[in-house]
Amino acid sequence: MAASPESLWYKDAIIYQLHVRTFCDSNGDGIGDFPGLMQKLDYLQELGVNVIWLLPFFPSPLRDDGYDISDYTAVHPSYGLLEDFKAFLAAAHDRGMRIIIELVLNHTSDQHSWFQESRSSRENPKRDWYVWSETDDHYQGVRIIFVDTEMSNWAWDPLSKSYYWHRFFNHQPDLNYDNPAVFEAMWNVMKFWLEMGVDGFRLDAVPYLVEREGTSCENLPETHAIIRELRKRIDQEYPGKMLLAEANQWPSDVCLYFGEADEFHMAFHFPLMPRMFMSVQLEDRKPIVEILEQTPQIPDSCQWCLFLRNHDELTLEMVTDIERDYMYDEYAKDKGMRLNLGIRRRLSPMMDNDRWRIQLLNGLLMSMPGTPIIYYGDEIGMGDNVYLGDRNGVRTPMQWNGGWNAGFSGADPERLYSPLISNPVYGYQAINVESQRRSQHSLLSWMKRIIHVRKSSRVLSRGSIEFLKPSNHRVLAYVRQLGEEKILVVNNLSKSAQAVELDLRKYKGSIPIEMFGGNLFPRIGDLYYLLTLGPYQFFWFRLRRI
Amino acid sequence: MVEETFLDDNFLRQLMSVGEVDLLVGIPSHNNAKTIGQIVTTIEESFQQNFVRDRVVIVNVDGGSRDGTSDVVLNTPSPKSSNSRGLSSLRTLHRITTRYANQPSRGTAFRAILAAADLLRAKACAVISPEISNFSAAWVKSLLQPAYRENFDFVAPLYSRHKNDGLLARNLVYPMGRAVFGRRIRELNSGELGFSGKLAGQCLNFDVWREDTVRTSPEAWMAITAISSGFRCCQSFLGPKVHSLNSSGTDIVTTIRQAVGTLFWCLESQQAFWMERSGSESVPTFGPEHELTAEPVRVNRKRMFDLFLSGAAGLSDVLKSILTPETHAELQRIATEDDREFRYKDELWVRTVCEFAASYHHAAIDRDHLIQALVPLYRGRIYSFLQEHHDSSPEDIEAHSENLCLEFERQKPYLVERWKANK
Repeated sequence: MAASPESLWYKDAIIYQLHVRTFCDSNGDGIGDFPGLMQKLDYLQELGVNVIWLLPFFPSPLRDDGYDISDYTAVHPSYGLLEDFKAFLAAAHDRGMRIIIELVLNHTSDQHSWFQESRSSRENPKRDWYVWSETDDHYQGVRIIFVDTEMSNWAWDPLSKSYYWHRFFNHQPDLNYDNPAVFEAMWNVMKFWLEMGVDGFRLDAVPYLVEREGTSCENLPETHAIIRELRKRIDQEYPGKMLLAEANQWPSDVCLYFGEADEFHMAFHFPLMPRMFMSVQLEDRKPIVEILEQTPQIPDSCQWCLFLRNHDELTLEMVTDIERDYMYDEYAKDKGMRLNLGIRRRLSPMMDNDRWRIQLLNGLLMSMPGTPIIYYGDEIGMGDNVYLGDRNGVRTPMQWNGGWNAGFSGADPERLYSPLISNPVYGYQAINVESQRRSQHSLLSWMKRIIHVRKSSRVLSRGSIEFLKPSNHRVLAYVRQLGEEKILVVNNLSKSAQAVELDLRKYKGSIPIEMFGGNLFPRIGDLYYLLTLGPYQFFWFRLRRI
Repeated sequence: MVEETFLDDNFLRQLMSVGEVDLLVGIPSHNNAKTIGQIVTTIEESFQQNFVRDRVVIVNVDGGSRDGTSDVVLNTPSPKSSNSRGLSSLRTLHRITTRYANQPSRGTAFRAILAAADLLRAKACAVISPEISNFSAAWVKSLLQPAYRENFDFVAPLYSRHKNDGLLARNLVYPMGRAVFGRRIRELNSGELGFSGKLAGQCLNFDVWREDTVRTSPEAWMAITAISSGFRCCQSFLGPKVHSLNSSGTDIVTTIRQAVGTLFWCLESQQAFWMERSGSESVPTFGPEHELTAEPVRVNRKRMFDLFLSGAAGLSDVLKSILTPETHAELQRIATEDDREFRYKDELWVRTVCEFAASYHHAAIDRDHLIQALVPLYRGRIYSFLQEHHDSSPEDIEAHSENLCLEFERQKPYLVERWKANK
């Protein structure tokens, strides 16, 4: 089905990812909530983002930060009421912003009523909603994902005296999608939120929906069939809504989740993210070019999602062992910064608070093919706290000002769901929205500008990419093109000034216009085009034939 | 300072693109298209295995090849990665190539490599001959690692040699270089070596690059410069060295002109360093100290002896102007011995060489002629050596070599005396 330009809104999106809990507390209980978030919509509008991606906010025992859902159609009491969510949604829409929410299809919390019924007796109508077995020897050889905590993908349920299947924590039993009732129940969940007006779902852990003996139980054709059916119903009943896949796989494997433009609209490009960090540290474009050249074409209506940091550790699953060791040594020298196969740090500390490097990485994020995601707080350069357990160090309260609790909450500081960042470099007295709003030269102001420039042309969001390969490997240069419109992007990945000669002869006659300042550069001629760039500097040029 | 005209614009442009590097491997070449591709591949394999995080470059300096050597350097595919996703090393592996005008010259090529190392601020460098058929990735590591990780400035190779191989080094260059300069470095004049960026920069700035000796044997000059300038030197074992069938090979006259000529020239230029020194010190060695093997190597000894006899007779007048009367008379005496009894003993051989060196210093005759006059005597010495050690074990030969070194050290005062004497 051909997509209309406006239905491709996700391609032009600038997504802002946040957890309700972390953003703003309106009632003084130390936990962020929807009324608080609603108060901050003006800030997000001012920043220029046009899509908000909310991490799970459903009722949950919170043993996996909300990814263990016990009720799919309600709001966790800490975050407010369903009515609060509706008000927030309406307010966002009023500002022209769309809302994406999380949906965990693969499993529920063991506290979900579905599982409680399922385990209650073997005759219960919901018994087959989960994957039960008398023995734990089915699906032998299927990998265990959380190797640090789980010994098996099977867990014994003493109540029903049988085993249940779980790919993640043992308190997250997998749903049985061979039972059509499960699919229908989950579709009803989606309809519940779509009817309310949400604009899309980020579907968690999609490769694991279906199990088959003798397989890896990942990426199975039956799983794709389920996704296709969901997509078909959405297109028919809720056109313009969007599905985003979380599949931490190599690009060639993730591509299967785009199908023939009949599965997901978007998917994360996991392997690109660590390579952006790697390239800047190595001062070499090779990692980025290499992975993007290995990335297959995707259907026209589909789009990659790009990100620098998110709520999880910076995952290093999609890198080679050599690359992982390098990333650890360069970005996580302290073992406490490492978690699972990743690095639990925020962008700014990883860049040693170097403004130029932070800007360069954001420049890459905004100019490469895909939809960028900004993780809350990174727009002001928030720090992290590696001494908090798990991934909580990158989930600290948003720093709004230098006052009480950083403006996040009126509660006693001891009552906050998490301690604030308070060290002299990244603490809320030094890094906060209010102070950065007052300076035109702050990171926040710069982020507003780059988002504005990025949104000024669809070339960057929808255009093709062609790498230029100047002999200077410290310079990453590419031309984005959509129709006749072209943008030349030149990035200096190095900490020192660089000169580069670009072969732009096929654009002979065009005038490069620098997009941030609007200044004209010399017309492109027959000779190699010489540019000099300061440390970590980048240029975006609109190429105009006048 | 580097002369303005020394590096052409295209080479500079390539250097500019590469930027700062950690490691540089230089390959001087001239019509090596058949072998150089494998050399490049092997170097990059070593980069991928041993220096995966480091900034690296291969610099080919070509002396006007007509067989497309430079194209092979640039177009040889990089080694395949073992990674199933096809992702290779972390960084860009750079190759750059440049040509220089005029005749092929090791010195000119070497100078360009040093200039590249200096401009790219390389921390460690190696130079590899493109004519080695058993070159391995381990060689690259062995030559670079001591300079890169262990803070050495000059890394001489050590080879596994047949007992009859490397005779010039064993009978003259090594023992004399050791006695004069005080460091026990066995291979002063090899096509493979490693060095630090610091040494490269210093050598580049010496005003020696028009000297014939440096143009023909820059490696030996660099080794001696490293010793005499107080740089940290070491040796690194590479194993056996086999030249490719396409190797141009060099006749003994040319070899002696280059190796001994450079050694004598360095004696001249570094006399302030060595005159007052005595004895010798070992240098740190990575891998085995030395390795001799005993596989048979065919040598035409009779022809060697005949050439000694004809040279000693035909060059008698020349030798008179070089040697003391006693030494000359002793030489004439042994030339009358039956070939089975002939021995050119260590004491006489060392005395001969010392007198040649002193005469070189005094420029008793044209220096090139002087070096050439040593060739027949060297043949006599080698004939004697082969006769004496036909059945010797590698250990026996090693013991004899050590004795020869000690003889050179013992006679060093004699060299100084002759050096200081009037003609």
